This record gives sequence, structure tokens and C-alpha cells, in this order.
Amino acid sequence: MDLTRPGSAPVYCTIVPPHLLDRLSQAENPAVAGAARRTLLQDEANRSRRLTTAAATVRPTVARAADAKPDRTIHDAQNGTELPGTIVRSEGEEPGRDATVNRAYAGLGATFDLFLKGYERNSIDGNGLPLIATVHYDEKYGNAFWDGKQMVFGDGDGEIFLDFTIPVDVMAHELTHGVTQYTANLAYSGQSGALNESVSDVFGSLVKQHTLGQTADQADWLIGEGLLAPGVQGVALRSMKAPGTAYDDDVLGKDPQPAHMDDYVDTEQDNGGVHINSGIPNHAFYLLATRLGGHARERAGQIWYDVLTGGELAVDCTFADFAKATIDKAAERYGRGEAHEAVVKAWSEVGVPTA
Amino acid sequence: MRIHVKRTGGFAGIERDASVDTAGLSDAEAWRTLAEQARTEGSDEPPVGVPDGFCYQITVDDRTFYCSDPRLTDEQRHLITRVLKEGS
Repeated sequence: MDLTRPGSAPVYCTIVPPHLLDRLSQAENPAVAGAARRTLLQDEANRSRRLTTAAATVRPTVARAADAKPDRTIHDAQNGTELPGTIVRSEGEEPGRDATVNRAYAGLGATFDLFLKGYERNSIDGNGLPLIATVHYDEKYGNAFWDGKQMVFGDGDGEIFLDFTIPVDVMAHELTHGVTQYTANLAYSGQSGALNESVSDVFGSLVKQHTLGQTADQADWLIGEGLLAPGVQGVALRSMKAPGTAYDDDVLGKDPQPAHMDDYVDTEQDNGGVHINSGIPNHAFYLLATRLGGHARERAGQIWYDVLTGGELAVDCTFADFAKATIDKAAERYGRGEAHEAVVKAWSEVGVPTA
Repeated sequence: MRIHVKRTGGFAGIERDASVDTAGLSDAEAWRTLAEQARTEGSDEPPVGVPDGFCYQITVDDRTFYCSDPRLTDEQRHLITRVLKEGS
């Protein structure tokens, strides 16, 4: 089923503040197959945590995917560690006083919107899965993660990290881990783990660009911009444009990301350096998107999305396997022209073999 | 008794570690009890963990065990927090 519209215009053409995104996502009629939603919720509860390929992804049950609406619930852990915590905002409710809750709600909405408008994907599982997030997890917790069922955000310690709901790309990164789990299900270790991380950075950045109405050349291509506390020497946690340059700080150390296979880091830590070597596929995506120009979510994002959801990748695939898949998908969708050539060139520039 | 905690992974992928030597500390016995309780639910191999979750390697003298977020016992969480905060 081809659900894509490569030429569709972005919805947000200027900088849209979170409260407006909020408004936009609430304004539309939420009457979408409520009974089907409840059934899906039940299905999800019965589903095992490790899902397999896209072949297992059921088709949208709403009449048209474009009519789908998010179903968000934000919980507050109240600085404890019980998940999911107390419900503080459900879909359609007005913003409250807690800016963290409001940002999380808007960030989930922005991510849902990119996948829907960009790729006609209805939520994480392509089938309207409710989006669940917990904020204020633990005390001074400097992290965010996806636990297989929901997103979890810490407040940061205030000295190195601020609130993890500040950058929209961080929230989108976490939600994309959910999309990956329901599609290519890339094993979270070694090269497939770094690809899993990279896919989350790619769509995280695309959500930010979509929200700001930016083209590839206007985007900052940073992950976690605004997350570092004042005084920390750095602009973000990762840079897709220039991996290895996001920070260089006395406490944090220096951004260890490579941009080329020559500098691939072999390590046992971090599941084999999944947050380090992701710099290589991140940079390949950046090179492709900037070479193609325009909105990165269109051709570059579409190719990556086609690979992620194509059902052809092995869960333990290598960078080279992934690269070859992007070349195949580029040719499939756009023919053997500019996009295909640009994909080949991007991987070549980061030293990943594709022949 | 020497307790070493190494935290890896996380969204930022930035490693952090600290250790505490309990010899001579007035609450050495409390540290020992906490470390033993934390170890009972620990794993011998590093778990893969959840995407962006922290993974912890805890070494008590010469024995090492592992655990990861968000599935920590109260004792593991308490031990990790104390060592990373009070250790050097």
C-alpha cells in the first residue's frame, strides 16, 4: 500500500510555539473509530514487547490515515520511579500550569503530525496506538528513554542537563524508538543498535524541522539543542552536520561521535557504542538531505522511512546492509536519478561500502 | 569494602563512574548490607536494556554485577544514587 505524498506541503510554515501546536492538535474532530481504538489498546496489552517486521504491522483501521488523530496521555511520576505515574493531561484537555506537561503533550503531537503528514503513518504502530509519556521521572534525573511501551522524561540535574522535554527533537527521538520497535525492530546493540539510534535522531530532527517549517539548509541538524545547562561548553548532545563537535566540556568531556567509518569506535560500553557510532549514519542522512535540498522529510526522509518500514532489513543488520537498502528504496521510489545518486554518494562520503 | 559504580548509555551516551571505600566509615555496615541486597537481583552479564536507558556496572570488591533502568530494585537505585553522589 503506497500511502506517501512526496510533494505535499508542510503544515507549519513559520515558527509555531508549543501552545499553538497544542491548539492545532485539539481543534480537529476527535471522533475516530473509538471502538477500534479500545480494541487496539487491548491488543497492545496482549502483544509481546518484541515485535517483528513491518509485515506484522496491521493496516490503519480509520477510513483514511489522513483523518487520524493522536491519543495522548501525559503522566507525572512526581519525582518517583513508579511508571506510568498519575495522569495529568489526556487528549483534548486544555494546557495546564506545568510547562513540562504542556511541552510533552505538544512534542508528542508534533511527532504524530510528522509521521501522519509526511508518511501517512497513524501513530507508532501505524494503527493509532495511544501515545503515553511520563514526566518528572525520578529526582534530578538527567535522561529520557523509551521503555518498550512509553516515553519517560527526567527533569535533568540543572547543572549539566535541563528538562528533557525542552528540545522537541529529544521527545521525537524517544517516540521514534517506538516506531522502530514496531517496524524494523533493529536490535539495540552494535551497528544495528547505532542504526536504531540514528533513525531516532533522523526523525527527531525531521520533527523539529517540520515544526519550524525549515528546509535542509535552514536546519541546525542538532540533537538536544537547549538541553545543556548554562555554563556547559556545548551547543547540543549531537550534531548530524558535524558529528564530534556538539560539546567539549570539562565535566562532560568531548563529543565522541565519528562522522566516517575510519573513526568507527569499537567499545563494549553503551551496547557497543550505539550513541557514538550513530554519528556515521546520521551524517550520511545529513549529506543526502542537504544535497537534495528542500524539506528533508520529503525525499530523504521518505527513503529512510521506506527502509525502516519495508520489512526487508534483518534485525541485526549492519551499516552496509542499511545503506544498500536505502539505495534500493531510492531507486524503487524515485528511479535511477538524482535521489538515487545522492544516496550512493552520501554513504560513500562516510566510508560505508555499498557495492 | 570498595564499591564502584559505572553508569553507561543514556540518551547522551556519556559515561560516569564513582567509587566509595567504606573502610573506616562509621556506616560501613549499612553500606555492606545495601551492597549485598543490591547484588541479589543483579545480573552477571550486561543487560541490553531499553533504548536510551542507563546501564549500571557495580563492582563490590572483586565481584561485578549489572542492572539497568527502569527495572532497578529499591536497593540498587539507592546504592547507585549514593555512590554516584558521595563517591569520587
